[in-house]
Amino acid sequence: MRPIAVIGGGPAGYVAAITAAQQGQNVLLITEGPLGGTCLNEGCMPTKSLLESADTYELVKNAENLGIRLSSKSIEIEWSVVQQKKEEIVRTLVQGIQYLMKKNKIRLIQGSASFITNQRLRINNGEQQEEVEVSKVIVASGSEPISLPFAPFDGEWVIHSGQAMSLPSIPSSLLIIGGGVIGCEFASIYSRMGTKVTVVEMGKQLLPSEDPDIAEILHRKLADDGVTIHTSTSVTDLNVDKKQILIQFQDGTIQDLQADYVLVAIGRKPRVHGLGIEGIGVDFSKQGIAVDEYMQTNIPSIYACGDVIGGIQLAHVAFHEGRVAALNACDQAEIVNYRAVPRCIYTSPEIASVGLTEEQARQQYGDIKVGEFPFSANGKARISNETIGKVKVLVEPQYNEILGISIVGPHATELIGQGTIMLHAEITTDVLENLIMAHPTLSESIHEALLSTSGHAVHV
Amino acid sequence: MAVEIVMPKLGMAMKEGVVSEWNKGVGDSVEKGELIASINSEKIEMDIESPAEGTLLNIAVPEGQGVPPGTVICYIGNTDEKVVTKASNIQTNKVEDEQIETSNIPEPSSLPVSKTNDRVKISPVARKIAQAANLDISKIQGTGPGGRITKEDVQEAIKKLESKPLIQEERTISPQASVERRKEMSVTGMRKVIAARMKDSLQNSAQLTITLKADVTDLIQLQKQSAKIIQTDNENKITITDFIAKAVILSLQEHPQMNSAYIDETIHLFESVHLGIAVALEKGLVVPVIRNAEACTVRQLAKKGKELAKRAREGQLPSEEMTGSTFTISNLGSYGVEYFTPILNTPETGILGVGAAYDAPVYIGEELKRRTLLPLSLTFDHRVLDGAPASAFLQTVKRYLEQPLTMLL
Repeated sequence: MRPIAVIGGGPAGYVAAITAAQQGQNVLLITEGPLGGTCLNEGCMPTKSLLESADTYELVKNAENLGIRLSSKSIEIEWSVVQQKKEEIVRTLVQGIQYLMKKNKIRLIQGSASFITNQRLRINNGEQQEEVEVSKVIVASGSEPISLPFAPFDGEWVIHSGQAMSLPSIPSSLLIIGGGVIGCEFASIYSRMGTKVTVVEMGKQLLPSEDPDIAEILHRKLADDGVTIHTSTSVTDLNVDKKQILIQFQDGTIQDLQADYVLVAIGRKPRVHGLGIEGIGVDFSKQGIAVDEYMQTNIPSIYACGDVIGGIQLAHVAFHEGRVAALNACDQAEIVNYRAVPRCIYTSPEIASVGLTEEQARQQYGDIKVGEFPFSANGKARISNETIGKVKVLVEPQYNEILGISIVGPHATELIGQGTIMLHAEITTDVLENLIMAHPTLSESIHEALLSTSGHAVHV
Repeated sequence: MAVEIVMPKLGMAMKEGVVSEWNKGVGDSVEKGELIASINSEKIEMDIESPAEGTLLNIAVPEGQGVPPGTVICYIGNTDEKVVTKASNIQTNKVEDEQIETSNIPEPSSLPVSKTNDRVKISPVARKIAQAANLDISKIQGTGPGGRITKEDVQEAIKKLESKPLIQEERTISPQASVERRKEMSVTGMRKVIAARMKDSLQNSAQLTITLKADVTDLIQLQKQSAKIIQTDNENKITITDFIAKAVILSLQEHPQMNSAYIDETIHLFESVHLGIAVALEKGLVVPVIRNAEACTVRQLAKKGKELAKRAREGQLPSEEMTGSTFTISNLGSYGVEYFTPILNTPETGILGVGAAYDAPVYIGEELKRRTLLPLSLTFDHRVLDGAPASAFLQTVKRYLEQPLTMLL
């Protein structure tokens, strides 16, 4: 039996490989980078480790508010330990995936793969080449950071997110180009560790894909943490020699800035070069490889999933797409489902949302009901001193369908799970009127926000 | 002991019968000979009379459900009797196993079957949208986890209803309102057979229709004369239709190509003429066959034709008498239709459509005369013969009709 080949060992690729193996297929996983891909090695996981250190540092600094007096006045961050902890987490998780590959009898090949024909791949591990005959191919080659046209990444001064998490020391200053999810997460981490951070965003607000009122709450907290934020501002030049940055404001005025590092976080692009897909006629564009709802490309034996198809570039979406691609490659008809995809931003405060934004909801449904509940009115949030933020719910007025939920505040990324279930199950607010939420919990805020859409909120 | 009423076998070929209507409900008392249900099979509609006096104890087969002949459809007995069902009274039929199983579960309290919406898996949003649109959610196919009906499924269902041109009315009506007006009828029994045959005919033959009109003024005179003679004999009178049948039979014998069938890439030419005559019923259409029609006089044709049509209307015709025709006549004249495109009764090569005769001025020499004209539409299978021979056949029919004495000589 010819194997199914999976190209890429990130969230889409390894899940696709395991799913296909579980279907009884002979599976070959070819990965150029380490298993776990961007998410595990230079994305979601290591940044969260850094974030945990930053959170704990902030918590300890404020411990006196809770009656904890520290005997020494000096609280320091031991960067090398922070890095070690991060590396250890990554190593353990990568080992976990290696174990899963073995357990599922997946043949793992370290190297790059390119198409010779639809069903023949050339694998190059740097030293030698190998050609394999395969039955089907699942392309999950992921994405890579987009660089500025006038300043390519040099790893020294102009860096991307993968490099930003492994700096030799906490920088004294950092300029972040791009106020999206990645830019904001690094701003939140480094600013709280003492770095002088400046964020330059071309759009009108931070987090352009979230509602302005939600982004505004983060904006204020970042500013409180000492971050200088320039929205509607562009970077016009980076002078590597002088380590000087020129930015231009909306009114045309130009300012020059200095920083130890420039983190370019303006987005990620699908990684298609070197795959040889153009040679065999796979349909793709700048947005990525084109697939249908079965994750199938225009060539029936070739599937694609994860960041390489563009769309929503999130690890949990990649998991889902990887599973769908593999099932279809195993001749099962499975359709991808983007009905309720949570979006999490690990900043301080955390931001998490699912479903439509308010702007999208108004476009699609016209007049909608908006329910809000501030964490300042939640007892549990008060106890932990995390009163910044709110829960916002968007409800369609005729059938009371919950269209979207945004949460800014403590543990938002955990709380959003409730909203994800509500949207996934297509629950209406009336079903939840007499729901009992545990007290005292942060979760009460979600219930209260839902109740407020019918004017029945109790604690505001 | 309660009496079992079973689905009767109406003809050898009957595979399935449907109770089209229950005239009695569970608990109703019935007299012997009283009508309890109407059933229909692929070809025949029939009433079922109670063989005994008693109470209808149980209905085992709901309206509209097809079951094989021999299946118990209800029980009649005394009210204090318990219904004992035997699994063995069902004739097994692989294809319809599922239906049999469901029909064989006697649950007097829950019959007739009515689906409640409570047990359908559906999301809250989907349920509300469906309710607002007055949709029967039990009919929606769910695509969510475990077949759960999602919002998208309901929106799809609404879209499908909206896109059906049937309910497009000029004034603007909400989709909800149009859904309310809908009445859905399951395609079973005779309708199912007609639907399949007509579609098959149009898809699998190369049929086309040619038309002409025959001057039947003289024929009508002849028919009137014959009617006078025969009425005194206390017999069915001969109609124009019977003369048309005779003309067709004679023409078929002159043009054997038209008395044929196209079966499996082979053209079968028949010596005898088995003439099918389409008869409209209240719920469909049947084609009784006059066998060896070439041996019949016009008078015999009239007699046989009337008898077959009568029995067909009463649902008394076995399927043997409705198959094997070699050519068919369909008459829409009584509805005022002139020309139409009859659909071949496959595998036959030809079908003649007879329209409504009408009076018109016709030049006879230099003179205009009032004449009666009969529109004729001949559909034929171009795979068997071409336009010229088909037209020649139609010409011959016309000739017989215009010179009716030639038919009798």
